[in-house]
Amino acid sequence: MNRKLIAAVGVAGMLMSVAACGGDDDNGGEKTGADGYKGQTLTVWAMDGSTPPGWTKDLTAAFEKKTKAKLKFETQQWTGIQQKITTSLSEDNPPDVIEVGNTQTPAYAATGGLADLSDLKSEIGADWTEALNESAVYDGKQYAAPWYFANRVVVYNKKVWADAGIKDTPKTRAEFFDALKAIDKKTDAEPIYLPGQNWYFFDGLTIGQGADLVKKEGDKYVSNLADPKVGKAMETYKEFQSYSKAPKDKDEATPQQAEVFAKGNVGAFIGMGWEAGTAIAANKKIEKDIGYFTIPGETAEKPEGVFLGGSNFAVAAGSKKQELAKEFLKLALSDKFEGALAKENGVIPNKESLQTNLKGNGAAEAAAPAAAGGGTTPLIPEWAAVENDPNPIKAYMTAVLKGKSPAAAAKQVEGEINKRLAQSS
Amino acid sequence: MKRSLMARLWPNATAVVLFAVFAFPVYWMFATSLKPTGDIISDDPVFVPTDITFEHFRKVLDADHFWTLVGNSLTVTVLAVVASLVIALLASFALARMRFRGRRGFILTFMIAQMAPWEVMIIAIYMIVRDADLLNSLVPLTFFYMIMVLPFTVLTLRGYVAAVPKELEESAMVDGCTRRQAFVKIIFPLLAPGLMATSLFGFITAWNEFPLVLILNKDAEKQTLPLWLSSFQTTFGDDWGATMAASSLFAVPILLLFVFLQRKAVSGLTAGAVKG
Amino acid sequence: MSVQTKRTDTGTAAAPGVRKTDVPPPGGPTGPGPAGRRGGASAPYLLLLPGLLATVVLLGWPLVKNGILSFQNLNPRQLILHLTEWRGFDNYTDVLGSTDFWKVVQRTVVFTAVNVVLIMVLGTLMGLLLARLGKRMRLLLLLGLVLAWAMPVVAATTVYQWLFAQRFGVVNWLLAKAGWSSMADYNWFGTQLSTFSVIILVIVWQSIPFVAINLYAATTTIPKELYEAASLDGAGTWKSFTSVTFPFLRPFLWATTFLEVIWVFKAFPQIFAINMGGPDRLTETLPIYAFVEGPGNQHYGMGAAISFLTILILLGLTAYYLRTVLKQEEDEL
Repeated sequence: MNRKLIAAVGVAGMLMSVAACGGDDDNGGEKTGADGYKGQTLTVWAMDGSTPPGWTKDLTAAFEKKTKAKLKFETQQWTGIQQKITTSLSEDNPPDVIEVGNTQTPAYAATGGLADLSDLKSEIGADWTEALNESAVYDGKQYAAPWYFANRVVVYNKKVWADAGIKDTPKTRAEFFDALKAIDKKTDAEPIYLPGQNWYFFDGLTIGQGADLVKKEGDKYVSNLADPKVGKAMETYKEFQSYSKAPKDKDEATPQQAEVFAKGNVGAFIGMGWEAGTAIAANKKIEKDIGYFTIPGETAEKPEGVFLGGSNFAVAAGSKKQELAKEFLKLALSDKFEGALAKENGVIPNKESLQTNLKGNGAAEAAAPAAAGGGTTPLIPEWAAVENDPNPIKAYMTAVLKGKSPAAAAKQVEGEINKRLAQSS
Repeated sequence: MKRSLMARLWPNATAVVLFAVFAFPVYWMFATSLKPTGDIISDDPVFVPTDITFEHFRKVLDADHFWTLVGNSLTVTVLAVVASLVIALLASFALARMRFRGRRGFILTFMIAQMAPWEVMIIAIYMIVRDADLLNSLVPLTFFYMIMVLPFTVLTLRGYVAAVPKELEESAMVDGCTRRQAFVKIIFPLLAPGLMATSLFGFITAWNEFPLVLILNKDAEKQTLPLWLSSFQTTFGDDWGATMAASSLFAVPILLLFVFLQRKAVSGLTAGAVKG
Repeated sequence: MSVQTKRTDTGTAAAPGVRKTDVPPPGGPTGPGPAGRRGGASAPYLLLLPGLLATVVLLGWPLVKNGILSFQNLNPRQLILHLTEWRGFDNYTDVLGSTDFWKVVQRTVVFTAVNVVLIMVLGTLMGLLLARLGKRMRLLLLLGLVLAWAMPVVAATTVYQWLFAQRFGVVNWLLAKAGWSSMADYNWFGTQLSTFSVIILVIVWQSIPFVAINLYAATTTIPKELYEAASLDGAGTWKSFTSVTFPFLRPFLWATTFLEVIWVFKAFPQIFAINMGGPDRLTETLPIYAFVEGPGNQHYGMGAAISFLTILILLGLTAYYLRTVLKQEEDEL
């Protein structure tokens, strides 16, 4: 009996030691410093691409000098980011500051996982651009601070346009279509690369039409896709798409539209300014041919509506370093660093006074005029679920492009949208 | 005469075609990873990369903490596989060679355990690990990867053990071996192929696991390679060159392990599989 | 009767071997008489203990937890604030009442059947081909199979996405070159059928090597005398296959089919990475459906309920095999 026991214990012991090898120290750095913030580490989650190296380095140095605490940026990938944020907010040691997409901010604010930053807003947020701050407010309280924004522009190939005999960039939508027609006729280039599911461009078109994607029915939100204004925006999209050979049921990421553009045989695409960098990485020679212009609207006075993508900084309610986190926000959102980020990343800053930093950046200069008339997706917590893959609005777009009438296509996906909007939170 | 020539020819011809079918995707992965982006996004595919570049490899190797992740992946995978082999070996001896009450129940338990849908249980696992204060640690990962492969390992090894003729063991002892020597010298070598075959399976499973590590270990230094691999397919689009380079690097350890273990493993796998 | 005795002895032989002791085992605490010859009645339980402990703690516990969650309303809010809101059977009635769920169940069963049949038939044929080939060709084909088998699923799926990419994908280029010009810009991920074709190709491509290589190895263990006897009886190729090869391989094929049913049914990364269950959720099988509804849409309670139903369905699909095996076990010992 003894021997058997020893054998069994031996096995268990071995497993324990195996396990011990895999073990590692806990994530430390949560001591409450006696004086100042010395010995503390502030963890900031930023998305891949949000934090350019120069800005990050200077900010970290300034922060550590000012607070004596350490600053740790953790770059997050997009895959599974929602689950990561949700679960981490439930933990004892959540990341202290999180970059949250502006459209997703209401949903996270509603969960109770974000700290109330109303006092910070009154301290440093007096001149934040009103339109940009909208997404950070939920239920009358400030749950995040607007950080940076971006909107789409037309990226075009000057050589192709010259070959087609076009001299000026279009100022109205009609002129834009004429230009595409000319490219189609006079060159063998694809006039525009526009896949069927560039849904944020479509969202911009609906904003341009003054359409809403949801409406309130009783105390519930339901799909408003059947609204003729939405249908009109979709017709515009369809006309643009008719000049493209791009797949009707893919978005701009598969394949990456900038890489298709980089081949030099595409007249234009609608994308973010930084996508030009992707194109240049794929084909160095394209660099000198790239130009940008604001997406033209119905009339020359008012550019097309655009979706204002962007990010807010939020503080986890469960963070034990609330004050330190606010110190970080005050520094990161100060004119110095907010301006530097705008300059280095070519993004639209949270204050209009800082837009001067965009000078010399062709893409950002083309983007800025449209920002004033920009908008977002519906700012309700329920909306985030609608955009989860597979996004029913993308299905709607593909259906229309494949010949369904907007009304019929809307009908097809409305059930799914309403189901998602109705999900209890 | 003519007929026999045909009879000899068609299997060989089929074999060549099949080889191409099975090997091409693997080849294409390596080839793409070595081509400049201009050749990847090309209207006429470049089948043999002439203009070889290591830019994609440089890019993926340049990722933060790459070598830490390699270390984590190896640690977790090897420990999980070894632990499951040891545990399974013990269990399979009991199941293959002994008669006892509840034996069928145990076999059934392992068979059902094989069916666990891990991907959808992650949130339950997450809550357990979180409440045990073990997030951002390799320990729970190791344990869960171990249990993911344990049922298969037990059931397969059981077949191998049963296939070792017990007479061998007895005759060894007649020749003066102790039982321990009989085990080490006679049985263990016979089981070696089985151990290799099952460890290959375990290695692949643990090496690939993604959903669990994604939410358990958010600390960048406690993650594993699948997360790194997925980071090259982003919302901003697929960087095929980098993705293929990362896939190549990710696949190489497994490919090597297979080529290294395959011959022995296969001869043994039969023994186990035939027994079922 | 003699067989029976022999098998009992097997038990005796193995137990001490594992316990690594050279002293003959003392009689077990229970069971006098014949049990005295056995290696102690508690030995098998001790050997099984680590495995069972691991299964209970690491699988049983999460399963129970998952079961508890399936009766809760668990969304980001509840998760973050550590709230427990019971929903009774509502998650289950919601799922069982939705037509989507039943469509997914049907689809999953058909999907599993198609894949398993393809894998088993093609795998068997290739295994037999391997047995017929000369040494060099066999090595070549084995190499190809091993390469496919060893590809990590995540990497394999990515490669297939790339092969079948609408623009610049090599498959479309080949089809166009072969004269099928309408395929030049074909979007494989645009319809349910074409997406499933690619998914099935990935799965079959990766699964065949396991079947083929093992089946080939199994054929090498068939005693030559059996074939000689068959040919003496005047059996041709087909006859000797049905009378010798197939009966010999039957247990192997049985067991492999069972494994493949489980693996295909549970296939997750292949389907999810290829097109995330799209287009229009039309390629979601049960695991994907559970993932999208649960973790994907952050309705974890609902996801837990679906995952429970998934296990039940898989058990139903494999019940016949499980029963057969258990009966066999009974006969054997």
